[in-house]
Amino acid sequence: MTVSSNEAPAQSGFSLRALLIRQEFILFVITIVGVLLLATQSDKFLTVDNILNQGRLVTEVALVALPMTLIIITGGIDLSVGSIMGVCAIVLGYSWKNLGFPLELAIAFTLVVGLVAGLLNGLFIVRLGLPPLIMTLATFALYRGLAEGISQARSVRGYPDWFFEMGQKNFMSYEKGVPNQLIIVVIAAVIVGIILARTPFGRGLYAIGNNEMGARFSGIPVFLYKLVIYSFSGFMAGMAAWIYVSRVSTTRSDMGTGLELDAIAAVVIGGTSIFGGSGTIIGTVIGLILIQLLKNGLALSGVKGDSTTIVVGLVLILAIVLNNFIQNPPEWFKRRFASS
Amino acid sequence: MAKKIFALVLVVMLLGVVGMVSAQETRWDGADDLPVNPLECANGEAAPADAAATEAPEAPAYDGGMAVNAPDLTGAEITVVDIPKLVGIGYFNATAQGTQEAAAELGNVTVINDGPTEANIDDQITFIDNYITQGVNGVLFAANDPVAIAPVLQKALEAGIHVVGYDANAQPDAREWFVNQAEFNGIAKALIDSLVTEKGDSAAFGIVTSTFTTPNQSRWISEMWAYAGKCYPNLKWLETVEAQEDSKLSFDQANTLLNKYGEEIQGLFGMTSVATPNSADAVTQAGLCGKVAVIGLATPNPMKPFVESDCVKSVVLWNPVDLGYAAVYVMRAVVDGTFKPGDTEVSAGRLGMLQVVNGSEVLLGPAFVFNKENIGGFDF
Amino acid sequence: MTASTHSNSGAASKKDGGFLSSLRGFFGSQEGILLIVIIVLMVAVGTSNPRFLSQTNLKDVFAANAYIAVAALGVSMVIISGNIDISSGALVGVLITLSGNLAVGLADAGWPLMLVNIIAWVAPLIGGMVIGAVNGFFVAYLRIPAIVVTLGMFSILKGGLILVAGGNTIYNLPEGYTIAQQDWLGIPSTIYFMVILTIVVFLWLRYSATGRSIYAVGGNAEAARLSGINTRRVIMITFILNGLMVGICSLMLATQFNQIQATAPPGLEMFVITAAVVGGVSILGGTGTVLGSTLAAILVKTIGSAMVFINVSPYWLKAVQGTLILVTVLVDVLRRRRQSRQ
Repeated sequence: MTVSSNEAPAQSGFSLRALLIRQEFILFVITIVGVLLLATQSDKFLTVDNILNQGRLVTEVALVALPMTLIIITGGIDLSVGSIMGVCAIVLGYSWKNLGFPLELAIAFTLVVGLVAGLLNGLFIVRLGLPPLIMTLATFALYRGLAEGISQARSVRGYPDWFFEMGQKNFMSYEKGVPNQLIIVVIAAVIVGIILARTPFGRGLYAIGNNEMGARFSGIPVFLYKLVIYSFSGFMAGMAAWIYVSRVSTTRSDMGTGLELDAIAAVVIGGTSIFGGSGTIIGTVIGLILIQLLKNGLALSGVKGDSTTIVVGLVLILAIVLNNFIQNPPEWFKRRFASS
Repeated sequence: MAKKIFALVLVVMLLGVVGMVSAQETRWDGADDLPVNPLECANGEAAPADAAATEAPEAPAYDGGMAVNAPDLTGAEITVVDIPKLVGIGYFNATAQGTQEAAAELGNVTVINDGPTEANIDDQITFIDNYITQGVNGVLFAANDPVAIAPVLQKALEAGIHVVGYDANAQPDAREWFVNQAEFNGIAKALIDSLVTEKGDSAAFGIVTSTFTTPNQSRWISEMWAYAGKCYPNLKWLETVEAQEDSKLSFDQANTLLNKYGEEIQGLFGMTSVATPNSADAVTQAGLCGKVAVIGLATPNPMKPFVESDCVKSVVLWNPVDLGYAAVYVMRAVVDGTFKPGDTEVSAGRLGMLQVVNGSEVLLGPAFVFNKENIGGFDF
Repeated sequence: MTASTHSNSGAASKKDGGFLSSLRGFFGSQEGILLIVIIVLMVAVGTSNPRFLSQTNLKDVFAANAYIAVAALGVSMVIISGNIDISSGALVGVLITLSGNLAVGLADAGWPLMLVNIIAWVAPLIGGMVIGAVNGFFVAYLRIPAIVVTLGMFSILKGGLILVAGGNTIYNLPEGYTIAQQDWLGIPSTIYFMVILTIVVFLWLRYSATGRSIYAVGGNAEAARLSGINTRRVIMITFILNGLMVGICSLMLATQFNQIQATAPPGLEMFVITAAVVGGVSILGGTGTVLGSTLAAILVKTIGSAMVFINVSPYWLKAVQGTLILVTVLVDVLRRRRQSRQ
């Protein structure tokens, strides 16, 4: 069991200690403990089927949480992702049903619209220096309004069977197995994780978050980088729209409501500082897993209704309090710790 | 650069205009495009809707789904989960009360009432999914979206879980039976007839609905449109406004209608159990009681003050307690195998025998009209 | 969101130059622009349908979003201090339920009506301040970013409400409870709440020492601390006052109808922040006044009502709202550029 590594004495060197106090590790331990506790409450919880199914349900949030991590690392935020998902879902249905696009083209068009919606955010933020919070608050309302306006809140149904492959079937169409969309999430997470950790682009994002002026002077194309991440965010929201429509087999203009808050919560629980400059994809992934399994596990152990969100809220705040405490212990604690 | 930005904003707005122009409306705002079936005219006087009396001559074949390899639980203890559109509004509290009543009577059914706090399709799907994993014997639902909910219901059927809907239907093949509270044309007729009784057959009126696409509401408006077109062509349709299912929005929207049409408006229809009392509130607070009739679908408790003050003459609804009650009885009968495809009626405890209509729907009965005389006798 | 807060303090940078130039100053400001837009819109819609300018409709236009305006006063203060609050919607849901249940419960228990009503009116204010204090404590003393704290609080309150109250609609409210229904001198009481509170908060922010220190903290927390301001205390105060305003907002909402729905209007928190931002409060902190947020709340209702009057599909309301935020912020940016060029 992985928990045992927690009891390893911290004397064996600097790197182990550094690992132990990393937020990702602490989170990982919390997640494992939480999962084991919940597993004692319901024997339906810790089964392969259930875990895979949860992967299917968390896909949309996960897809937008990845670019959200990058954006928050640069000190920005994107509140419009839920609305972009809404407008993209509508564009998918509308361009297929009303404009007569072939469905394949409609999907591609949807992704382009998502990209453009994100790009628009990026352009205003970069060219006019609007705070990301304001800009994406404006498009939060605007894009949702377009979704409602274009569709007149009518839903589009009746997609062909192959379209549901993505959202409702498993890999290689096995009866039981890994949901298709989960594979996309995993691939996306690995790619984004590598880009963030191992490329100049990734390092540039941290630099922007730490000190934007400094980053600019050291030759990082700050504007370009920002355009890229906001566009990427829009693109992933479009992707989420496609997968979600495929999962629920209809389009509605209210799709994606509240998605932005779920994604931000996962990113922040995952240890990314809301002030920018630090954070990892691994953290976000653990954050996503933690929230989803907590909600699911509580529901399966008989907790009713939305009261599971209480736990999510508490974990969100406590994770940050705990992390602050460990990264930056108060004076009295350090004194005590040093003397013992 | 400012020009560039301006151009971008322009593009966005153009996109919008395209959408606006392309969305043509053939029926009244808030109505759907499905076929309508208006009932016979009431010959000038309002009568309680007699939806059950006008049955189609030949019953269509069963078009519901089937639970796959459901275990034989005849007479055994079963656990059923009830997931309405949302929890925490009077209407679904009443249906939940009905499910518990039925469970207590039957003795071998446990009903869990659960659900999202907002009428959100994604939340509702997640709730049902979790209960499938938990392993219940039956799912009762009221769908937020008939299509979006279908995949998860089919998953339940495939897992051998029986699925029965009430209040808001899903695609027929995604559930076994649907307990229909009252036929849409019956409700529509009762509403229009009430308006005509109060304000005559050339009254001008507005509608406060939840959203233009909520399935039940848009069905009712369609049937109202059809029935009025057939029987009272002189009625003047002013406007439909949306208020989601929110008190404040309903109140504000009703006020805006009253202000916009001034003396002209003689009636307001509330299409939801939230819109009706708050429209009545708006009319009362504007001092227009008697001048503007409020008619609508609502539960009795919030309507009592308005009915007692004579501001509202009649409230149309079925009994939601009975609806939840019937749903549990239907579920029990399905599990026991006593209610099968092809049957034409089902026994539902104190409600007696209920008829099967439209292939796979169980009809609760005619719409009920609450008024000053009888409203005191109901508490939900 | 970045720490770079180099904003020119709008409230302080008023170089005096006589009545005319201060008038020009007003109409060049965010508040002035909003006022002009509201008037132009009213005249335009009023000419196409004179009923828009009827007394009853004007009353509704001004009164309908009064509760948003009051909540926006609170969140404006929080934003000026450099923080944010996205929990107000969930908090409103909790507080209206609290107030309604107290009113019905105590009245049923036979308490004197006057006392019952006063308790039910005061309870949401106190409840709001308590939650505000909790938020403030986490932000000021535990140094957790406000967006995280209030996001967490949002989840907790939303879940807690359904757990504790079950979310039933509350009716049979006691006699005299519904103050927001009353008209005083022919004007709805909610307009009094909005106007008086806006003036009080405006003056307090501008002239009291604590009020001004909120700008200082939002402009540059470090400089404020060095100049002797207790920044933690100031942040704490802004959150408590924000809680109070949300409490008053809840009171106005709870006492408007004959029954209380135990949930807040959907998306309330975003609406409140929108009003503050369109009103000219800079999200970077340090600048803005609360006159603008009140005008912005009125403007949004004016637009919403106008759309019904000129027969535009209500589905475009949100798109218009979004464009409005974008345009006001753009105007603000362009104006600042021109100012800095001069």
